Amino acid sequence: MIFAIISLIIGAIVGYFCNVTIPGEYSKLFSVALLAGFDAVFGGLKAVFIDTFDNINFLLGFFLNTILAVLMVFLGDNLSIELYYVVLFVFALRIFKNLSYLRHRLIKK
Amino acid sequence: MLSRKSNRISIILACFVLGFMMAIQFHSTQNSFKYSTQYQRTEELSQRLLATEKERDALKKQTEKMSQDKNAGLIDAQLIEAGATEVTGPGIVVTVEDSSKKTAANENANLYIIHDEDMLRIVNELRAAGAEAISINGQRVVATTEIRCAGPTVSVNNERSAPPFVIQAIGEADTMENAMKMRGGVMDTLSVWGIKVNIDKKTQMTLPSYNRGSDFKYAKSVEKGDTQ
Repeated sequence: MIFAIISLIIGAIVGYFCNVTIPGEYSKLFSVALLAGFDAVFGGLKAVFIDTFDNINFLLGFFLNTILAVLMVFLGDNLSIELYYVVLFVFALRIFKNLSYLRHRLIKK
Repeated sequence: MLSRKSNRISIILACFVLGFMMAIQFHSTQNSFKYSTQYQRTEELSQRLLATEKERDALKKQTEKMSQDKNAGLIDAQLIEAGATEVTGPGIVVTVEDSSKKTAANENANLYIIHDEDMLRIVNELRAAGAEAISINGQRVVATTEIRCAGPTVSVNNERSAPPFVIQAIGEADTMENAMKMRGGVMDTLSVWGIKVNIDKKTQMTLPSYNRGSDFKYAKSVEKGDTQ
């Protein structure tokens, strides 16, 4: 748990000092990717708690979900379907679900 | 489960990537203001403002230099006569205001307001009493100045102004005051209609210069002894 948070902070510091900026037209895609990453990490956390954590599954889920979400939003933009909101909704829902599960688990302990 | 090394590494990797992405997104959001059209427009406008201010300063300097050059050949009396410079000196301030009397039903309301003729009479009287420079509501009266009725206002140097009219005249203050207050004179006539004329003696005042361009299209000066 602790090393996860530490690596998160290190990643944030490295990212901040890299001074990379996403151009305005891609910021929408990037924010979706970010949310997908959050979802995958919380999903992984939940898996750790219920002892079903699978290394390959977690990594694949993390990257594939991110890429898939970005592709979906990109496609939706080009077909003028607002898939952006759909993706945001689904991921936010899943994050909250996982969080509430974790909370239940932690309080029970 | 979590103790396995590869699991730990994969979580660290995921978290690292996540943190990296968060930081980039944060950075982009902070900077996105710079790329917005509004920001760019503001930049552009402030640049243009700077350029315009520079140009204005340069032009100001130029006019200053040119007016110095232009006035160089003229003597002081000519400058005052032409209204080319501000003038200062003692004199009187005549303030003229519309009548506050109620108009009787069968009388013409026009009698109770100031007209261009009244202004002309006042200016004429002041000149007769030796006023050397006159201005009306901040407009210097020069040789080409008109005093003309323009609806409810009076136009001087093509600049309209409404009552109260402030006429400043530089000259012998006592003489001018007496000329104004002469029995049967301007003030006497105007006060019949209740028009308020107030005279204020000043030991020092400054009159503005004539601020219109003097561009003569038809009149050409003729050298002495060169008559046709």
